Amino acid sequence: MSGERPKGLKRWLTTTDHKDIGLLYLWLVLFMAVFGGAFAGLLRAQLSASDLKVLEPDLYNQFLSMHGTLMIFFVIIPAMAGFGNYFVPLLIGARDMAFPKLNALSFWLLLPSAGLMFGSFFVQGGTAQAGWTGYVPLSSRQFSGTPGVDMWILGLHLVGLSSILGAINFIVTIVNMRASGMEYFKMPLFVWTWLVNATLILFATPVLAGALTMALTDRVFGTGFFRPSEGGDPLLWQHLFWFYSHPAVYIMILPGMGIISHVLPTFSQKKLFGYKGMVAAVGGIGFIGFLVWAHHMFTSGIDPRLRAFFAFMTMVIAVPTGVKIFSWLATLWGGQLRFTTAMKFGLGFISLFVMGGISGLTLAVVPFDVQVHDSYYVVAHLHYVLFGGSVMALLAGTFFWFPKMSGRILDEKLGKIIFWLIFIGMNITFLPMHWLGIAGMARRVYTYRPEFEFWNQVSSFGYILLFAGGMLFLYNIFKTLKRGEKATNDPWGAYPLQRTLDWSTSSPPPVENFTRIPEIV
Amino acid sequence: MKKIRVLFTTALLLVTLAATAGAEEPITNWLVSPEGPLAREVRSNFFFSMITIMPFLFLAEGLLLYCVVRFKARPGGRLATFRENLRLEVLWTVIPALTLVVTAVPTYQTMRKMEVPPKSDLVVAIVGHQFFWEYRYPKYGISFAEEALVVPAGKVVTLNLSSVDVVHSWWVPAFGVKQDANPGRITNAWFKAENPGHYKGQCAELCGRLHAKMFIDVKVVPPEEFESWILQKKVGPLPDPADTAKTKRG
Repeated sequence: MSGERPKGLKRWLTTTDHKDIGLLYLWLVLFMAVFGGAFAGLLRAQLSASDLKVLEPDLYNQFLSMHGTLMIFFVIIPAMAGFGNYFVPLLIGARDMAFPKLNALSFWLLLPSAGLMFGSFFVQGGTAQAGWTGYVPLSSRQFSGTPGVDMWILGLHLVGLSSILGAINFIVTIVNMRASGMEYFKMPLFVWTWLVNATLILFATPVLAGALTMALTDRVFGTGFFRPSEGGDPLLWQHLFWFYSHPAVYIMILPGMGIISHVLPTFSQKKLFGYKGMVAAVGGIGFIGFLVWAHHMFTSGIDPRLRAFFAFMTMVIAVPTGVKIFSWLATLWGGQLRFTTAMKFGLGFISLFVMGGISGLTLAVVPFDVQVHDSYYVVAHLHYVLFGGSVMALLAGTFFWFPKMSGRILDEKLGKIIFWLIFIGMNITFLPMHWLGIAGMARRVYTYRPEFEFWNQVSSFGYILLFAGGMLFLYNIFKTLKRGEKATNDPWGAYPLQRTLDWSTSSPPPVENFTRIPEIV
Repeated sequence: MKKIRVLFTTALLLVTLAATAGAEEPITNWLVSPEGPLAREVRSNFFFSMITIMPFLFLAEGLLLYCVVRFKARPGGRLATFRENLRLEVLWTVIPALTLVVTAVPTYQTMRKMEVPPKSDLVVAIVGHQFFWEYRYPKYGISFAEEALVVPAGKVVTLNLSSVDVVHSWWVPAFGVKQDANPGRITNAWFKAENPGHYKGQCAELCGRLHAKMFIDVKVVPPEEFESWILQKKVGPLPDPADTAKTKRG
């Protein structure tokens, strides 16, 4: 396994080193985020006034569907996988993942998948137009005849396969490859969140694959899984889709919570508060995350008893989430806080994720949920969780771990500007949407009543700040790679107190990570 | 975060003002101007939930802000060394859990009211089409599409919803009603509007190209006027041209 590593392009094309694969994931994520973000810009441009004609309705629906699809399946989920690939083996004192070639396959599956997604724009009729949720019958052949939908389905299949293979790899790695002395309850939080996360992926993603296969055969062979005239049911798709896609919400946030659980203690110069409670909370969120899916269907006409059950479970899942929030706050309490950019994003994460969590809790209140379901309130909520939560955590992780991955420290002065642009831009963009939803603006619309114009303009203005922040972030990365300040093994001074192994080796770590496998006492 | 909340409150006020003083017949909602018992019920349940839930938002954001200000690193600053506190951890698990039970009880009562309508005065079948609504009054043998739904004030209207093509969702925010209309299945909802007037809404489930233009217009009229409207409808389709134009414009 060890020995001379090939250089240049050959290194990246043939690598099975978990660190290189992690970096490949992260580069792909940056690339896709540019597109996902640009699509969002087109949507905000169209919505910057009532009855604009920036995008034609069909095209609007295509960009809307692809913004969601790219951001979820090609940005947030693979970004978590990228950090997981790089840092899980390091943090448990392993030389690599358990199955390095499988690991490479997980990454390379994403490229044909991305190709299908982008390619689907160029076939006759364009790409999927039924939202990232692809509800039937709208996404069926009758109402979306375009082969773009088939390509979208196949693309998701490949992403799903990549996820499942990755999940198996993570579980086997974490169970079998820990350095001697690294007991389960000594594993850093990021490893714990990935263990639970991989379990969620392993149980949930095959259900998505099944649903997608049914949708595909309905389209191609005319089977009637989702067609009432054939004894099928459109609601079956909703159940199966959300059985995956609700756990997917936790798949997108749990490793982020893990990152935050490293960033906050490091820059508070304290140990993480309530380690065991935190682990229990991660497990609790993972388990209950499987029992809340139908809260996406409160207006669909499901059995009232089902509605009552899912409403209650949705409230219950707030409890372990609350445990995490309070434990992070207790970690800050009495510390000596250093406001590095990573820390700023970590604190920003808490503030925004709490907002998203609370608005999520209001959605468990069925009478209210029914009113704001499929309205801009939900758009606001999901962006507070996925942008304010997942993306802020990923940005915190990037500023935190970039020195380890590249040997250089991202420009902190630029970092400060980036943080404030994104934090303020995020709130200007998404806060008004809460009100728009309550006032009656449905989501996924290319135009709206004139009453809603003012707050939509505010929201579109917020996007400009987000865009500026995103561009500066990219600039910071390229600038730093070229001529950034060199990093020591432990640039944040984390190791003496935190004792996590990522900071014990060189920046970047050598092939196979450690000259000698550390022993954990 | 405080600034943000001030902004949000201002937003609420501004939009409310705009809604009352603004353009012709703006859309109304259950929060600012609930119409009928169901909408009021939704609103009081919402306020109650806010009272139980919002303290946690202020608590968490407040503590965060306090930590940021209070525990900024200072040279020679003292570090706390505590790593756990069982009592505290039990407290912040149990108190939210109990709060949620308290929130759930009235929520279930409201859900029951949503699900079990009072005695129905008028049944309307609503059929979703790409991209318009069809309304049928089985009792009177009337059906029409692309016009305002007309219902009598102060009467309980029960809805049977379905769709001929894709999933739609019938949503009138002022009434506190939103219900999906699925192909191959009938779903139910109800409302009781007390004051005559025009109430607006729109399709809430992405249903294709012109989803954004699938508006809903409900005309609530005094019962006597409703009777004469029914008679007129039965005699023959003599749609008021001004009315049709209005519906199309949304």
